[in-house]
Amino acid sequence: MLTDIRVSCSPHISKHLSTRSVMIDVIIALAPAMLAAGYYFRAHALLLIGTCVISCVAAEWLCNVICKKPNSLGDFSAVVTGIILALSLPPKLPIWTAVIGGVVSIAIGKMVFGGLGANIFNPAMVGRTFLTASFGVMMTTWAVPYTMDLNMSKIAPENISASNLREFRTQATPLAWSKLAIKNELGADIYSEEQFKATFTGEVGGSLGETSVIALLIGGIYLLIRRTISFHIPLAVITSAFIFATIVYLRDSYTYVPPLFHLSSGGLMLCAFFIATDPVTAPLTRRGMWIFGIGIGAITMLIRIAGVYQEGVMFSVLLMNAVTPLIDKLCRRIPTGGKPGA
Amino acid sequence: MKVSTKSRISFPGGTHPADKKDLSAGKEIQQGPEVTEVAVMLCQHIGAICQPLVRKGNSVEAGQKIGDCDAFVSAPVHSPITGKVKEVALRSHPVLGRSMAIVIEALAHSPTKRPYFNLQDDFDVNKYSAGQICEAVREAGIVGMGGAGFPTRVKIEPNPRLPKDALIINGCECEPYITCDYRIMLEWTNKIIAGIKLAQKASGCSRVFIAIEDNKPKAIEVMKTALKIVPNCGHIQVVPVRTKYPQGGERQLIKAVLKKNVPTGGIPPMIGVVVLNVATTAAIAEAVISDLPLTHRVVTVSGEAIAKPGNYYVPIGMSVEDLIEFCGGVTQKSAKVLLGGPMMGIAIADLKTPLTKASNAVTVLTKEQIGRAKFARRQTACIRCGRCLEVCPENLNPTKIAHAVKHNLLDVAEQYYMSACIECGCCSYICPANIEITGHIKTGKIFIARQKKKVPG
Ligand code: SF4
Ligand code: SF4
Repeated sequence: MLTDIRVSCSPHISKHLSTRSVMIDVIIALAPAMLAAGYYFRAHALLLIGTCVISCVAAEWLCNVICKKPNSLGDFSAVVTGIILALSLPPKLPIWTAVIGGVVSIAIGKMVFGGLGANIFNPAMVGRTFLTASFGVMMTTWAVPYTMDLNMSKIAPENISASNLREFRTQATPLAWSKLAIKNELGADIYSEEQFKATFTGEVGGSLGETSVIALLIGGIYLLIRRTISFHIPLAVITSAFIFATIVYLRDSYTYVPPLFHLSSGGLMLCAFFIATDPVTAPLTRRGMWIFGIGIGAITMLIRIAGVYQEGVMFSVLLMNAVTPLIDKLCRRIPTGGKPGA
Repeated sequence: MKVSTKSRISFPGGTHPADKKDLSAGKEIQQGPEVTEVAVMLCQHIGAICQPLVRKGNSVEAGQKIGDCDAFVSAPVHSPITGKVKEVALRSHPVLGRSMAIVIEALAHSPTKRPYFNLQDDFDVNKYSAGQICEAVREAGIVGMGGAGFPTRVKIEPNPRLPKDALIINGCECEPYITCDYRIMLEWTNKIIAGIKLAQKASGCSRVFIAIEDNKPKAIEVMKTALKIVPNCGHIQVVPVRTKYPQGGERQLIKAVLKKNVPTGGIPPMIGVVVLNVATTAAIAEAVISDLPLTHRVVTVSGEAIAKPGNYYVPIGMSVEDLIEFCGGVTQKSAKVLLGGPMMGIAIADLKTPLTKASNAVTVLTKEQIGRAKFARRQTACIRCGRCLEVCPENLNPTKIAHAVKHNLLDVAEQYYMSACIECGCCSYICPANIEITGHIKTGKIFIARQKKKVPG
């Protein structure tokens, strides 16, 4: 017998989707990159990821308690922020720095704006920018992948016993070399085919998660297949960076590295699939997404080629985040039937 | 021979809810129960409300006109049964809240069922003039039976300023669960074809399309075969369209079949198109050929919480409660009763709500289903994922509109073309943040309507 009649507004069914399931999809997609980080940088990498996630989650919880807001941990967005932050950090970063990064990401990058959905900037990038500004040296000290042949690394301090070598050895990222090459006019041909390949598997210096292009591609394709992200932003970022790099390369192929090298290093893939596609801080409309992605690709390349920073991804994302509201305003959708009264 | 009927013809946007039609698709149209009382709403359509033509205590015959109105956009109502007017009083109306209805008590021992009217294929459309058809359609009180309830006569009557060119018969039935149109296409094929011919003659359209979603290959088959047998049907074309919600929406269907956009805020006649539901065409045939007013219709009763789902031929004005009881009742303690399908249907609180001409289905959802959809999942803030934009068939920006309405910024909502929303529910259906976008938009539209009323002139 029917005793309890429910009423609500239509529609009465909905797709099995929730903010949490979207976030879990992103976490799954990030798994290959996390595994790659663990493989190349061993325990410290996993420790860093763990620290970032825990500090992000704790920060969100604390902010909610302080602001007397309902608990929002259930949406898992803090976990995603934590992982992305960790993957963009250098592998040797001290744990306490990572904690600061996590807290800043969530507290300043997200919660001060009013929590998930209201933030203008990508929280992880806010955290990373803060760390770069505060601890510049640590943030640019890149460890050698554990699996790498030590003789390959170029910048090695002298007089260190072989057993300690790995601990102390640091390695510049591929892009740092390219920067160096531009500055010293050494020529970009200091890379071998081998090193280019290494950027695909991840056997190079760099942030935790940006080194292995293959792992990132697997994750990115998973997100595309699951339709968690649309192809517009990744395609726009990659294409515009590629075109920019090609133009520069064609003009002076001695100084500048080949375009594919730019795509496969410096976190461009991480950015294209995981950072720029953060829905909250990207435009809503497709046209907007194209503009946003092209902007990120172009600014990244501009920074790499003309600026002082080597990677550039972080700033270009933040810059484009800042203009997202404007892009959204300009790219307003016109109803299927045209403007009313027209 | 198995013909592949997969179609790519469609419109941009839309969603793919599970269609759940197998609950009732195999059930033949059956006679509903005898009823003891009906409440015939005086407003079952878009347009002016009818004035009652009978008073308390009057006896009425089955088929007698009991309410009418002089306005052009309106449709009379008729008594489906023979009996006595018990009262003219307020009843729950699915859309209007409380509204006036004529309550008729059945005369003891007089049948309240109406036999199906069957048609042989030797029907001659030339017997009727366009004017006669329009008049018969009006007198029979025919309105769009797919949901909106727009008076059919207004649609088909030729208008010298807007000549009509294409007639699209809507057999899409894109809402999950509903199968009444499907059954009508299978069982009353000739009646539909007769109705189509009449509507074509009245409206003067030269092209006729029957659009059917490709998840109903049998209906496509049956229609095609019948068109081959019935004489003078060479020009009627069956168009399989892609199964996608809201394919049966008028604007979406026109886009799919004719690749034309109906102007925002406009109506199909502006581009020379008439869209009629299959049930409506059957009603036209009944009205013109046999003088039967629209007093009975096929209603799908379905949903996981219904004991005996099926398609029933019932008097309009019968209460939802009686119909559910006839179908074995609700198997759950707690459920949601919808007039219509789960995407656009209206959840009713009062089971005494009478069926109207536009009620194509009664869908009863279980608590688990509702829970899955709305109560178990927590709402979060919009994560700006853009899914609602992707699915919106009208190419709107649902999240912006909903956000604007929530903050009472009606002018902003209008800047994002709120009035162009067809309330299809795709955006709410897909939203991972579980925001009732469609609900907000509906609220916003009501606010705007109120504002406009307040302004004098
Ligand atoms: S689908 Fe929901 S969460 Fe996504 S943009 Fe639309 S309103 Fe926001
Ligand atoms: S905004 Fe309106 S038309 Fe667009 S999906 Fe939502 S309910 Fe449908």
